[in-house]
Amino acid sequence: MIAMRTILSRAAPVLACLGLLGIWQVAALLLNTDSFPTAWEAVRAIPSILGDKESLINILASLRRMAIGFSLAVTVAIPLGLTMGRGRLVASFFNPLLMVIYPVPKAALMPIIMLWLGVGEIAKILVIFLGVSLPVIYHSFQGAKAVEEKMLWSGAAMGLSAAQRMIRIVLPAALPEILTGCRTGLVLALITMITSEMIARQSGAGNILFNSLDMGQYDTVYAMIIIVGAMGIGLDAAFESVRARLVKWSEPGFDIPLSFA
Amino acid sequence: MIEIDHVSQVFQTAGRRGHLALSDISLEIGEGAFVSILGPSGCGKSTLLYIVGGFVKPTQGAATIKGKPIAGPGPDRGPVFQEFALFPWKTVLGNVMYGPLQQGIRRAEAEDQSRRLIEMVGLKGFENFYPKELSGGMKQRVALARTLAYHPSVLLMDEPFGALDAHTRTRLQNDLLNIWERDRKTVLFVTHSVEEAVFLSDTVVVMTRSPGRIKQIVNIDLPRPRRRAELLLDGHYQKYIVDIEHLIDDTSEEVAQP
Repeated sequence: MIAMRTILSRAAPVLACLGLLGIWQVAALLLNTDSFPTAWEAVRAIPSILGDKESLINILASLRRMAIGFSLAVTVAIPLGLTMGRGRLVASFFNPLLMVIYPVPKAALMPIIMLWLGVGEIAKILVIFLGVSLPVIYHSFQGAKAVEEKMLWSGAAMGLSAAQRMIRIVLPAALPEILTGCRTGLVLALITMITSEMIARQSGAGNILFNSLDMGQYDTVYAMIIIVGAMGIGLDAAFESVRARLVKWSEPGFDIPLSFA
Repeated sequence: MIEIDHVSQVFQTAGRRGHLALSDISLEIGEGAFVSILGPSGCGKSTLLYIVGGFVKPTQGAATIKGKPIAGPGPDRGPVFQEFALFPWKTVLGNVMYGPLQQGIRRAEAEDQSRRLIEMVGLKGFENFYPKELSGGMKQRVALARTLAYHPSVLLMDEPFGALDAHTRTRLQNDLLNIWERDRKTVLFVTHSVEEAVFLSDTVVVMTRSPGRIKQIVNIDLPRPRRRAELLLDGHYQKYIVDIEHLIDDTSEEVAQP
């Protein structure tokens, strides 16, 4: 019974995907227009995209930009968020600033950034950086703020300096919250990456998508959407498995206290 | 030897008015003594403990330990909090080893000592458990072991058994006394339970409600080692409890008349 349920829950995402493709297939067959290829046609176009050297280079370049933007953002955002969470002065300086920037769609800044930095790598990495930074700062901030004072006092009594308490108590204690921010950041990195490539059309996965649209290669358009979507799902799943391992100690699951005083 | 010299503490409240939490407290705590600070909630008794710990700076007055002014926290004074304050990302062993490792003791040696301490507090077999997998009583045992592990000369216990059920509380009181009778550290123990204070202490400092002042210092002249079952039938023990309860009742009435 339990084994059956585990198999079902493992298979559920796959079944959901297949179901979606099935609905797509039927809808496309019913509508029968050029701009809406069937699921089968789209899936069939995937190997030719991934087999094409230039497309592959473009997709890898996208991923590279995303990795650089994400890493830079995390490197800046986590220390900033943690410092804000533990220092009222730092928080009162950065908080209003971030509240203004937070709701602005980062892609809307793309024209200005292009004006300053051109359409090259730096502009696109900067947009990704901005997109990822804010949720990571916000969650690191919340995580650091929630760290129990008494935990820090316990560390201070053991002789940990203020800097050591930051790295060895605040950071690990806030890690579950920080990683929640990073997960949101990762998805946002993908979104801002594609958007930036659609605006500054020079290379990348977003560029392939729009070029094929211009040329009326609708099966390629849909195939690219599937590829980008799969990238997102794959990255998110990979991150989630790393996250779960890192913060195993905080996950609910076996939180039933043992009956022992 | 801890000396608290004319300490007052004012907290800034939301209304910008200063709230006087402690008013002119002077107290001497001898080495190896078990001293309880007893008072109603909000009397500033925990604040007094935090001042000795160096976690809070007094608004007025000063505290010294062995003649040296207390300027901040240090491993000579080990806190045990009601909230346990364990490091949730560390196992039981990792928590207990934290202090010794911080003090530069070699890993093998720190682990060896810590395992012995874990056994002493009755948690053998739970070394690799995470705090969230433990009950409240077990967590407090870990917290005690973690503090004992870096050999503080003073234990600062802030209502350590306040969050535990009656049965667990009794067991931990007994175990704490056993441990204390072995190495006779100085203990400063904050509680609002009269029975707990009398059972454990050499001296009970009774405090008034806000602002916290020392109402009376009661020396508990009961032989050690103390056995709960014997004490419960002991007239002296009962009288201490009744007398101190009267003291506290007076304190409460003072508040009723503004």
